[in-house]
Amino acid sequence: MELARALAENEVEPTETLIDVVNSCNLCGICDRQCYFITQRRPTQAQQALKDHVKTIKPNTLKHVPEDEIVKDLHVIVGNDWATNDPIIIASYIRSIIKQKSSGKFYIVMPKSTEEIAAIVMLANKHKIPYLPRGNGTFFGVALQTLLAETCSIEQGIIIDLWRMKDIHIDAESFIATIGPGVTSFELQKAAHAHKLRANVAEAESHVCANAQNLGIVTTWSNTYGWGTDNFIDAEFIDSTGTIMHLSDKDIPNPYASEQGLLSLSLIPSVIVTQLTLKLHQILDDEEAIFIPFTNLSDALDMAHNLAKRNIGISLAVLSRKYLTEFISPTHEIAEDFNYIAEKYLKLNYIVDVICDKYHKKIIEELAEVTFGHSMIKSLILGSSKLASMKDSSLLKMIAEEENPLKAVFGGPMRNHFEKGLAASPHELVKVFDEDLRDFFEKLYSKPELTDPVWLHSFRILPCRMERKHMWMYRGGYMPGDKETILKVVDALEKPAEKYHIEGAFGFLSYLERGKLAHLEYDYYYDHADPDARKRLNKAIVESWRRQFAIKGVTPLEFICSKGLHRKEHILYPVPKGLSEEDLGHFEELIETLFGGEDAW
Amino acid sequence: MVKYLSKEWAEQAKKKVLEDLDRTKDLKNMNASLLNVVQNVPPDQKTVYFYIKFTDGKLEELLTGSDESIKEKNAEFTVTGDYTTFVQISSGQMSSAMALLKNRVKMSGNKMKAFTITKPIDTFNMCIKKIETEY
Repeated sequence: MELARALAENEVEPTETLIDVVNSCNLCGICDRQCYFITQRRPTQAQQALKDHVKTIKPNTLKHVPEDEIVKDLHVIVGNDWATNDPIIIASYIRSIIKQKSSGKFYIVMPKSTEEIAAIVMLANKHKIPYLPRGNGTFFGVALQTLLAETCSIEQGIIIDLWRMKDIHIDAESFIATIGPGVTSFELQKAAHAHKLRANVAEAESHVCANAQNLGIVTTWSNTYGWGTDNFIDAEFIDSTGTIMHLSDKDIPNPYASEQGLLSLSLIPSVIVTQLTLKLHQILDDEEAIFIPFTNLSDALDMAHNLAKRNIGISLAVLSRKYLTEFISPTHEIAEDFNYIAEKYLKLNYIVDVICDKYHKKIIEELAEVTFGHSMIKSLILGSSKLASMKDSSLLKMIAEEENPLKAVFGGPMRNHFEKGLAASPHELVKVFDEDLRDFFEKLYSKPELTDPVWLHSFRILPCRMERKHMWMYRGGYMPGDKETILKVVDALEKPAEKYHIEGAFGFLSYLERGKLAHLEYDYYYDHADPDARKRLNKAIVESWRRQFAIKGVTPLEFICSKGLHRKEHILYPVPKGLSEEDLGHFEELIETLFGGEDAW
Repeated sequence: MVKYLSKEWAEQAKKKVLEDLDRTKDLKNMNASLLNVVQNVPPDQKTVYFYIKFTDGKLEELLTGSDESIKEKNAEFTVTGDYTTFVQISSGQMSSAMALLKNRVKMSGNKMKAFTITKPIDTFNMCIKKIETEY
């Protein structure tokens, strides 16, 4: 897709490699099935356009890309097939690690072993060029569209794509998994589940090692499974000199220590993680999902914090209406209608979302006025298109007139009517898909996993649907778990979004350390193809930092980046003081030093 | 044209800063000393020290060289990095704060104080980039 865009926008000239790239695709359509499920896009169309474009190019006009000394040296390290300086290959990395319209000289290399990476680092040092490891590019893809682009990218140099390093070894007796940096969260979870074990992992497509290193693995399971070094036993990594080290080495400087504060911002990892040995967790036979719906955030936080403090629930989060509706709806249009219905008629704005055993389920049912579980969520997933079609129907109007619509729909006598009304089935649901994809998706949605909330929480295949309509930028971070602080932070994130006309929405909140700490994801959605929207987003980001730093105990997410190998105790304790007016003045200066004045971004 | 980090360059840099920058407006009356440890300086990959000291915004000292006595000055901050990175900083291609964020340099010293002097240090670098320098 990125290559097709770069060619269409004349960012890259066709080279001989383009023919190989185009011919390697037989238009089988598997990309469409994968991509449509998440983004509603059909990459085969881009691939077809590339094939058509290639037919119009005279072979003798294709550019030959000579190999320079660095590529030749890279070939010696990884073999001829796995390193290139061809602009056509480099183009496919633009916007997921290389800044758009970068003029620097880049190399792509795909090593297979730790030793090869060490040799690449030494080669980069010899030639005095920077290098940057790439997992799946998820974080870069988001940050590169913002004023943070410069801080998380290199202006030239070697991109070390870790995709080939896919070794997974499960030691079920020790409850550990040892993995290479090319392993995705989905792949690890699948391997762990084969042993009835669970890994604490991020979104399905993220690379586990990169995610662990960059963000410490942020999940809904963190109150039980932890964050950062809680997740793993050992890491093998390569430092900036190309030396291979392990966290368990006795003779290295304390690898767990980290600095706090504004100058501790670092979006580029200082080491490359080449292997991680992670903890795995037992899956209980009686695990179930239980959802507690709320109209307002304050009540949802009260309930969730009460559960967190008592360690109730294995996975525990406050989920927004936006996330719920976007994740479970098959298309963005349906998600928007579902979102409208949830807000206007059902008064469903937040959900306390718990995966727990049967004992905790009983406690939650005693504490909560109304709950729902697997059956209702299955109906909502498979019946979401039907629900969307009921927008402004008399049934929904009737529900809205109830004294407590949430109770009426999810706990009262209307529950059965509501579920029946959704006529939930894979066959019904797939009618919203393009016709040629319906058979595939009917089979897919007939699989029990696709409507099993416990499985979905473990495998996390749905969250990427949040970017179906627009690009987003993660806001939020870590803070004390008390409601007052969380509400202040939400306000500090909402206000800049309103001021700069950016769509802002609460995403989810999870806890750490029995509710002592909380992690909040709040998102800014914007059209990244619109330069004005990007400017407004950047202003909103800076103002949200300013407002967050003024609140005692808050560490914005960017200031956690690249610290996943450190102990949370070094990063999150003691909670930072809010910045004074004088400090905020220095913060303004720092922003100007880093990014220039407002006009520059 | 003077050679980067040479004695002549140091003299010109000091003169330029004293002439062009206002102690209060530009340098915020800062009190700070900073030792840059510039590694792999061509042609023989030696380490060169680049030391600056400000008192009430006045540049008191600006020294360069491989002399260990410079290293032994009791600087509040030490910034260590490769020659190529310092060229980028001194020529205005990259701020020192950005180099720190990108892990191109390592800094020791009080980070909270460093946070308060990022702007005047950046102003200092923007001033010395105007010297016609051979890198």
